[in-house]
Amino acid sequence: MNRLRRALQVAFMTFIISAGLLSISQGELSAQLTTAANHDRINVDFFYHGSTVDIHGISDPGTDLVIKITSGGGHHILRQKGRVGVLWMNVGTLKFDHVPSVYFLQSTKKIDDILTPEEQLKYGLGYGALASESEVASLKDQKDQVEKEKWFNEFLKYKEASKVYSVTAGKISLTRKDGGQDYYTVIDWPYQAPPGDYLVTVYAVKDKRVVEQARSKVTVEQVGVIKGLAGMARDNGAFYGFISVLVALGAGFGVGLIFRKGGGGH
Amino acid sequence: MYLYLPVALTSMNILVPVGLGLAVGLLSGLFGVGGGFLLTPLLIMFGIPSTVAAATDSNQIVAASTSGTYAHWKIGNVDFKMGLFLLAGGFIGGLVGVQAIKFLRAMGDADFVIKITYVLMLGIVGGYMFLESLQSMKKKKTEEAKPKKESAVGKFLNSLPFQTHFEKSGVTHSALVPIVFGGFVGILAAVMGVGGGFLMVPVMVYILRMPMHVVVGTSLFQILFNCIEVTFLQAYTNHTVDFILAVLLLIGSTVGAQIGTVFGRKLKGDQLKIILAGIVLVVTVKMVFDLTVTPSLLLVQAGGH
Repeated sequence: MNRLRRALQVAFMTFIISAGLLSISQGELSAQLTTAANHDRINVDFFYHGSTVDIHGISDPGTDLVIKITSGGGHHILRQKGRVGVLWMNVGTLKFDHVPSVYFLQSTKKIDDILTPEEQLKYGLGYGALASESEVASLKDQKDQVEKEKWFNEFLKYKEASKVYSVTAGKISLTRKDGGQDYYTVIDWPYQAPPGDYLVTVYAVKDKRVVEQARSKVTVEQVGVIKGLAGMARDNGAFYGFISVLVALGAGFGVGLIFRKGGGGH
Repeated sequence: MYLYLPVALTSMNILVPVGLGLAVGLLSGLFGVGGGFLLTPLLIMFGIPSTVAAATDSNQIVAASTSGTYAHWKIGNVDFKMGLFLLAGGFIGGLVGVQAIKFLRAMGDADFVIKITYVLMLGIVGGYMFLESLQSMKKKKTEEAKPKKESAVGKFLNSLPFQTHFEKSGVTHSALVPIVFGGFVGILAAVMGVGGGFLMVPVMVYILRMPMHVVVGTSLFQILFNCIEVTFLQAYTNHTVDFILAVLLLIGSTVGAQIGTVFGRKLKGDQLKIILAGIVLVVTVKMVFDLTVTPSLLLVQAGGH
């Protein structure tokens, strides 16, 4: 009986220590680096037109900071335009693997000036790191390295034009306070960023290496009528289609009747 | 004021879809075209994904064509008999066209065929209508009294079996003629991914020899049923109809269709034809420009037409 109690005590202590270590790696790595967003939940309602997210916290004095906001990795299938004779048209389909659907990166200085290429690659910081992690595959054949680079650059152009990728430097404000350093930045959250969970990671950088990390989360969620309609369109297409046709027919007749009553030329 | 569109996953100033709907509804009431060939590219230009733009466009055409058909029916401009024959042909043609597109997609040539068909059809139809209307307007001034000669095509059509009189249009044709031409337009409409109004109108004017005002009402009647089918299928199979966007578009288009009908009554048939031809030619030039100038982005969203 004592043995069993002892074994349970050891298991319990092991669990507590593991949970503690895990929480350190997930959240604030030191007493210094912290991060928080002004709101961790963005509600997409009827009048939603994007939002702003304030990221703030405390870091060690003298460290540079990199803030990365990203959605989970996935794949994107896009049509590839090319010349056929004198005409530009869709000539194939490209699949981009291991790339996030949203990627915002802000840093106190240019990323290449504060981090080695190895560190950028290790933590997925900057477009160069994204390119290395990604796979670009034509659905028909494998692309060589030069082609891959060309089409990944086109992928970045497409994402930046869609406002869901950006890399900027110098927009994080730093203030010395109580022996530490307060940091603050505002991210313009585009309405083009789809509903989902987004991970905000802040990296403290010194001597071209990442020395600390802290994380928080932003959730974008559809609510109210928007959530109801999106759910119906996805899960009950037949009913949604029927209602759509019915409303259109009703609106057409309704306006016809209004014009007749108003004596609109008939 | 901005509204969020739950299926397109984008936000839009409400004046944009209402204004676009009004403009396209106006064309619909004036010329009997659904306006899909204009509205879908415009919606894509304003950031709506191509698949959602095409499907939602069909939904708003249901409203605009209901409004337009109702207005034209009240003034006696809808030939229901002819409309039903064309509809039957269009339905069969649509099924054949969908299979053709499946085959072309499997071959990998679908986009090329669609684009080329689009440009050729728009160019030929627009060019022919423009020149014919111009000549007709000139001729009317000088030789109004001359009786019309029957063409070889007309003689052939008159020799076909199942001749029937279409009272509202004042023409007699074999029942096969509207079914076959309706089928032809149905195939092209399915291949090009549009309602086919801008193809159906010339068929009714030049082949079926229907009066222009009856053409407009009958075309709208036929488009209405096509678009009901397309809207339901798109919502059911692809989940790409955006209800909020459709409502905003139809607020504009239903009113526009009524205004278009009123204006249409004040214009002569040839004037209507030449304006429609001009619009079709402008769209053709824009498409040729888009096809030949290097695009700013070499990657586009998958899906759509």
